[in-house]
Amino acid sequence: MAVYKRTYKAYHGRLTPAWSRFTVLTRYGLSTLFSSRPFTAYTVLCFMPFLVGLAYIYIVHNAAAQAVLGVGKTIPGTVNNVWFLSFLGFEAGMGFILAAWGGPGMITKDFANHSVQLYLSRPISRTEYLLGKVSVLAALLSCTTWIPALLLFFVKAELQGHGWLWENLWMAGSILVGCLIWIAMISLVSMAVAVWVKWRIAATALMLGIFFLLPALGQVLDLILRTQWGSLINITHMMSIVWAHLFRLKAIERQSSGFDVVPLWAAWASLLSMCAACFWLLDRKLRAREVERS
Amino acid sequence: MPATIEMQNLTVQLGSRIILNQLNGALSGRCIGLLGPNGSGKSTLINTLLGFYEPVAGAARIFGKEVKSNLRELRAAIGYMPESDAFIADMTGVRFVRYMAELSGLPRGEAMERAHEAFFYVGLGEARYRKLGTYSLGMKQLAKLAQAIAHGPKLVLLDEPTNGLDPEARVRMLQLVREIRDTGEVSVLISSHLLRDIEECCDQVLILKDGRIAALCNLEEERKANLKFLELEVTQGNGFLESVRGLGCECASFGAGRVRIVLPDNIDLRQIYRTAAEHEVQIRRMNYRRDTLEDIFLKAMAGTPQVASVQQGSANGSL
Repeated sequence: MAVYKRTYKAYHGRLTPAWSRFTVLTRYGLSTLFSSRPFTAYTVLCFMPFLVGLAYIYIVHNAAAQAVLGVGKTIPGTVNNVWFLSFLGFEAGMGFILAAWGGPGMITKDFANHSVQLYLSRPISRTEYLLGKVSVLAALLSCTTWIPALLLFFVKAELQGHGWLWENLWMAGSILVGCLIWIAMISLVSMAVAVWVKWRIAATALMLGIFFLLPALGQVLDLILRTQWGSLINITHMMSIVWAHLFRLKAIERQSSGFDVVPLWAAWASLLSMCAACFWLLDRKLRAREVERS
Repeated sequence: MPATIEMQNLTVQLGSRIILNQLNGALSGRCIGLLGPNGSGKSTLINTLLGFYEPVAGAARIFGKEVKSNLRELRAAIGYMPESDAFIADMTGVRFVRYMAELSGLPRGEAMERAHEAFFYVGLGEARYRKLGTYSLGMKQLAKLAQAIAHGPKLVLLDEPTNGLDPEARVRMLQLVREIRDTGEVSVLISSHLLRDIEECCDQVLILKDGRIAALCNLEEERKANLKFLELEVTQGNGFLESVRGLGCECASFGAGRVRIVLPDNIDLRQIYRTAAEHEVQIRRMNYRRDTLEDIFLKAMAGTPQVASVQQGSANGSL
């Protein structure tokens, strides 16, 4: 099919490994997202808490820097499990906006002009298609949550001394596991709503609704039924409860933050149910052809 | 060498409706036409060959490999041009085709090269850096063709490729299909409502009706067939048709003196004149005529669809 000949020619060259095909979707997805300047600017903004955290840890461990800044021993707080939990909470919030902004559009664009059938007529499965799209969000959210958090953890360990690292190594696991759960949840919800409504603006609105209106609904239920189980539909709160246990918050700390309104098992069950609902929706709606059942 | 496409009792059910009902047959033409009225199951057959729908019974094979168990391998060897719009609006044409080629397994460099080549090949070279959303309908059709052939498939499935095209674009599209077919490196399956499109490109045609095979015939053989179809307009004459039949011809009367006759090789036209003279029948008009695809199609539509057997050579002399 040479340009100058303008004749069709079959391809007999080498092929990429079958397992790596989903990465093409990820690469193009990232490239499309970063072609938007506002999105790129916001992603850069998501790294600001990391830089602030880094500066804070440095100042806490550097008397000269404290003297220069004139803060001395008045610098507030200590870098411990609560500090890391707060840091991740802030990063998770920024990551949520990132996912709500970029996530649904990746899928809705494919549905808008029926291009899903083109993807699925290639040697990639529905699972790989989804994996490729989820990997975009996973890569972005990893770069703004657990990777900077672990970097801060190791910087803290280095400045504090090795004894601190071994005493608090569990925290590295908590950071990783906590963030991966959040990323999986947020990515699944983002993909599921996009597949369901097939319209970017509506999908983003629905995603915001799930994270902000459902908690309000939960509170209404709590007030009407005089219970605390309405929190089960508050995904962010359920995630916070899981995180509070992962970061080994003391009972009194959990109580003061409202992280003990439902037991841990109920929080896990709520999150897993949401994941299952997302999988069900994706399995049902993510098809090359939809069948109208009569 | 295995047939391009084989169907064995292929049955596909969507919801409670059986869409394809026990299809049997082997399609081995270089360019296969898929004909049938709306709702006959053409697109469902293509979707089944792509693995989008799973048969409830029977099996489909492409190049001798069962679709269900060799899906990944077969999809790599297939190029698909869907009937409906299928593109990513805010992507440039060449980037879109490159993307699709990479998904089919081509490395980045090769995919880029082939995307450019494909765009020039379909005649959109100058528009390749424009966003697909700005393309006209005809350009979108050509872009869809480009993405279907960019990765060098062995089988190209074209679902209504000339839909919505103006006459010039239609001619261009059919020319491209013929060129692809004539390279001998790729088989083509075209689904279309337009008999002329199929007649111009295809050497084999499968006609579906109500999810069953109404006819499967080899147009190439049909074109080569040595049968002579004769259309006569005659004055009424007793016993003329019986005498013609007595000569070994197949014939049918359509009223108002219109008669259609198939002349076997050993019958000379003079014998028809002689028989007409014997019965004092005047021949007012005489045309040589071969069965067109339209005749084959109309006959297939009029007849009862075959459930499990293939009506081979339905045009070979039967009237």
